[in-house]
Formats: sequence, structure tokens, C-alpha cells
Amino acid sequence: MATDVTTDASSGATPDPAARVTAPGGKKNAPDLGLGRLYLRRFLRNRLAVVGVVIFVLLVLFSAFGSLFTSYAYSDADFAALTQPPSAAHWFGTNQGGNDVYASAVHGLQRSLAIAVSVSVLTVVVAAVIGSSAAYFGGRVEKATLAVIHFLLVVPSFLILALVSHRLAGDWRVLIVVLTVFGWMSTARVIWSVSTSLRERDYVTAAEFMGISAPRIILRHIIPNLGSLLIVNLTLGVVATVLSETALSFLGFGVQTPDVSLGTMLADGAGTITSAPWLFAFPAGLVVLLTVSMTFVGDGLRDALDPTSVTGAAGGRR
Amino acid sequence: MVRHVIRKAAGWLLMIVVATNATYFLASWFLDPRSNFKELRPVRTEEQIDRALAPYNLNPQEPLLHRWWDWFTSVVFHFDWGKSPTGVSVNGEIGYRALISGELVIIATILSVVIGVTLAVYTASRQYGWADRISQAVSIAVFNIPTSVAALAVVFVAIWLNQNAGLHFLYVAGENSPGVEGLFPTIGDRLLHLILPTLSLTLMGYVGYHLTQRSLLLDTINADFVRTAQATGLTRSKAIRRHALRAALIPTATSVAFSIPAMFTGAVITETIFGWNGMGRYFIQTISKNDVHGTVATAAFAAALTAIGAILADIATVFLDPRVRVN
Repeated sequence: MATDVTTDASSGATPDPAARVTAPGGKKNAPDLGLGRLYLRRFLRNRLAVVGVVIFVLLVLFSAFGSLFTSYAYSDADFAALTQPPSAAHWFGTNQGGNDVYASAVHGLQRSLAIAVSVSVLTVVVAAVIGSSAAYFGGRVEKATLAVIHFLLVVPSFLILALVSHRLAGDWRVLIVVLTVFGWMSTARVIWSVSTSLRERDYVTAAEFMGISAPRIILRHIIPNLGSLLIVNLTLGVVATVLSETALSFLGFGVQTPDVSLGTMLADGAGTITSAPWLFAFPAGLVVLLTVSMTFVGDGLRDALDPTSVTGAAGGRR
Repeated sequence: MVRHVIRKAAGWLLMIVVATNATYFLASWFLDPRSNFKELRPVRTEEQIDRALAPYNLNPQEPLLHRWWDWFTSVVFHFDWGKSPTGVSVNGEIGYRALISGELVIIATILSVVIGVTLAVYTASRQYGWADRISQAVSIAVFNIPTSVAALAVVFVAIWLNQNAGLHFLYVAGENSPGVEGLFPTIGDRLLHLILPTLSLTLMGYVGYHLTQRSLLLDTINADFVRTAQATGLTRSKAIRRHALRAALIPTATSVAFSIPAMFTGAVITETIFGWNGMGRYFIQTISKNDVHGTVATAAFAAALTAIGAILADIATVFLDPRVRVN
């Protein structure tokens, strides 16, 4: 996982050698230390980030292969065991309808992960294109884009999200689209503010003089140089999406029965936290593990990829 | 300076108007009041349904722009927010609900800012001390917990306390107890009901202020002007509070406006969990009942809350930032 991400980062940053000055600290190490190895080394120095990666990988494995360890499917109802506490037959217990909580948790985690990762990827792509285009074109385009972004940021977008997804959702793929449409603004704003300094760089001016078209400059010269920022936002976007997906599903506007996500499981368990705490505890634990691990990974990536970052440069002060 | 605030307030007013109207169109597109009649027996024909909806300005046969214009003029001239598909006046519903939610959101926001900033000042002046590390870890953990989980955890702890410690003042359901008479008992009863929802909202809200304010403060704490202030004889803590904090507070003040939508989202979930009949719960009910006018009124309320927060933030900025006063 860690190697994947870091090599991605280096390949994303290398197409334009002029853009990236070798990171400080690269010099004092062995000269053959590549950028990818340097990032990896800095990332591994952060213990919390490594813990985050381990937890996240375990969660992914759990969601992918967890169903092999149980004979129940999330949709099976065991009418002989309604609202049973955890036992040998039902590891996480059963809910009011006799569904196995372990099987539901595996499926729900899978659903929540799929939604979170795809929304996060789509959001970063949309935000990168819109944010960097606004910065590159400048002038009226920039002003109009920023006005739209600011407007969408202060409008209670959760309300609009609930409104739209109530009619369309139930299908988790639609939920992905809806969450992306109302989730790109804050990332786009950050990317815009960083891109405004990139558009003044020499290599962008050089590309302009060579007659390269604007879309190509944005795609080949500006966006690749935002690589580290985009990757950090990707991990933090997963956290944000998990939080809003659980909130929507909790209120009944996101994933809907018979489908199961962690949010719907939280809603199921909410009414019985004293009489049947296991219904709530397992999905709650999974959500928190997922978000906390991704936050640790995001922090670690930021420290590893950003040469100016204080904690990265100071040699793992934590 | 007054002109600065007025100009900003006018901008926010415009924002409310645009947002509310945009929500009207979205709600009209995505909510279908006709589907409410689908389960009724005997089965209604299309014309019967249209005729039943017509008096409430929800008739789908009428062009959307006509309906919008009728709704818009009645809001502007009579402050009448329309009727639900069953004919209940939205105004009557939102009056007391707005009060309940407003009190929840505003108290939680104020508490969040005060607690977050205080904690930030305390920890930033002791960077990497044990208090800093522990509160940092707690804040990062809380930052990642979904509101629903946090609120339910608060409920769980409160029920446990009620049962095991014999407490009787922690209420986990409703915004008041039935049968309380008199002014002071009513106020006391309402305040007691406020404790837990406010606590869980504050728990979600303070974190952002703590983490951002701490890093902002760390940027200014070693600035020359703070050292100069200390050289004039101020103690370090006084220098931090009067000089470093004042400069570092400006971005926080502006961020209050942007945090209120999140606070309202939190209120939607908190009200659902604590069984409060506030705007948040009303919003969920109106959406599930395809009540276009009720939904729009809630969105307008949320936009108004944001605007109030933003205007207060602008006023605070005027006091904090001398550059604004000069221009």
C-alpha cells in the first residue's frame, strides 16, 4: 500500500523535472536514493502513519475476504435467532430481523469503502481540473468559479445532498455521483490557491511560447505538479466521504434497505444501545477505525511528500 | 467600518435569497407530492390528485415558474412560507422549531469557539508538553468520529450515569418534560434538556477550532511583536493572550461562518437522536413527506443562521483587525 502510493507520487511528479527541486535531505543520503525511496523512508519514519496503513489494509482484507469465514449472507434472516448477543454461531450477534451482524458488517464495510474510495477519487479529479483551470485561465473565469465555490460552501450543502439523494438514492452508485457533485468545492479551493503560484512558473510560460494548448498545459504541466497535494487530499477525502455517507445513511437518505452500509447499521443499532449494544458497537468501531487510520495515513503522506513540511524535515519528531 | 459591515450584510442577504430560491427549484424537481397519494385507498385519479394539491400551490400541471412566482411573492409580501401537501401552514410549524434549533446551534457554536480557542491557547504555549500531546490526540480522535456515533456514545454514557450514579437531570429524549408549570421551572427544565444535545454538538464543533487555532497561534507565538511585548514587561502568558492571540484570531473569526453549515448538519443528526422537534428533524420529516415548502423554509433557516454567524464574524473581524478599520 505504502509503496504503491509513494511510487505513484514520484511518477506523478517526474514528468516535469524542472518543476521539482530535489528535496532537502536527499543530499546527505546515498546519491542513488530515488525520490520514491526517499518518500517511502520518510513515510515509514512516522509510526502512526504505518499503524494507519496496517489498520487500513486489514480493513480492506476484512471487507474482501471476511465473508469466507461465515456461512451466513448479510441478507439471510435466521428466524431462530432474533437479537442474539455475540456467540459461536453468530460472531457479532444478530439484529432484530435475524440478520447476522458479522456478515452485515463485512458487506457494509465493503459498501462504505467502495463509496468512500470512488467518491474521493472522483472528487479529487473534478477538483483538480476545476481548481487548476480557474487558476490558469484567471480573469473572469477565475472570478466566476470562485463565486460558485464560495456559494456552494456556505449553502448548507448537506441539506441539498439529502434532498437530492432522497429521490435518487437507494442505489449506492447514484449516491457516489451525488456525493461527488456536492463534495468537490473545498478541495478545489485549496488546489486553486496552490495553482495560482504554479501558473507563473517558467515552464508554464515556456509551454505557452511553444504554442501548447491550454487544456494540455493544465493536464501535463500544472496538475502533475500538484501530485503530493492531490494524494493527501485523496486520503482525507476518504475520511470526509465516510463521515457524510454514514450521516446520510443514518438519516435514511443514503444507502437504503435491503442494501447495507455502515451508516444504515448505525441507524439500526441506534434505538437499542442499552438493550442490544452489539448492534451499534461493531459498525461504530469499524467506522472509527476506518476514519482514524486514513487520517494517520494522510498526515504521514503529507509529511513524507511535502519537502517543506516541518515534521518531515525535522526527522520524525513524533 | 459601519459601511464595511453593512456591505457585507447586504452580500449575505443576497446569498440567502439566491440559496432559498435555488432550493425551491431543486425541491420542486426532486420532491413529488403526488407520490403521497399513491398509497391512498380508494385510488385517486391524476386529476383528483392535481385538484387536491392545487390550493397549496403544488399542482404539477401549473408551470413551475408560475408556482415559484406565487410562492416568492407570498414570502416577500406576507412572509407566508406556504403550505404542506396536507394543508398545514409551514409558518406555524417553523416558529417554535426555529427557536429550539437556533438556541441549540448558537449555544453550541459559542461554546465550541470558547472551548476550542481556550484549549488552543493553553496547549500552544506548552507545545509538545504532555497536556498538548494528550489534547491533540483526543481532538484528532474526536475529529474522526461520525456525529451519530458521538451523540449515541453521549446517550449511552448518560443512561449509564443515570442508572449507576443515581443522577436525574440528564435527559436523553425531548426538549422539555410534559406538565412543568411556571416560568422558572420551565426555564430550568429546558436548560436541563439542553445539556446533552449541546454537549454532543460542542464535542463535534470544538475540535476544528482547537486544531486550527493551535497551529495559527504557533505561527505567531514566536513573532517579533510578541517578543517585543514581553520585553516591555508583560508576562509570557499575557503577551500571548493580548498580542499573539489577537493576530491569530482573525482567520478563526472568518471560519466561524463556514462552520455553521456543518453545525446545522450536526444538529440534524443530534435532534434525530435526542428526539428534539427542531428544524433539523422537521427537515427530515418534510423530505420524507415530499413537503416542498417546508423543505425550502428549513434551507432558508439554515442559510439565515450561516449569514448571522458570518455577520457576527465580520463584526468581530472589525474589532480584531485594524486594517479593516482603516480602509
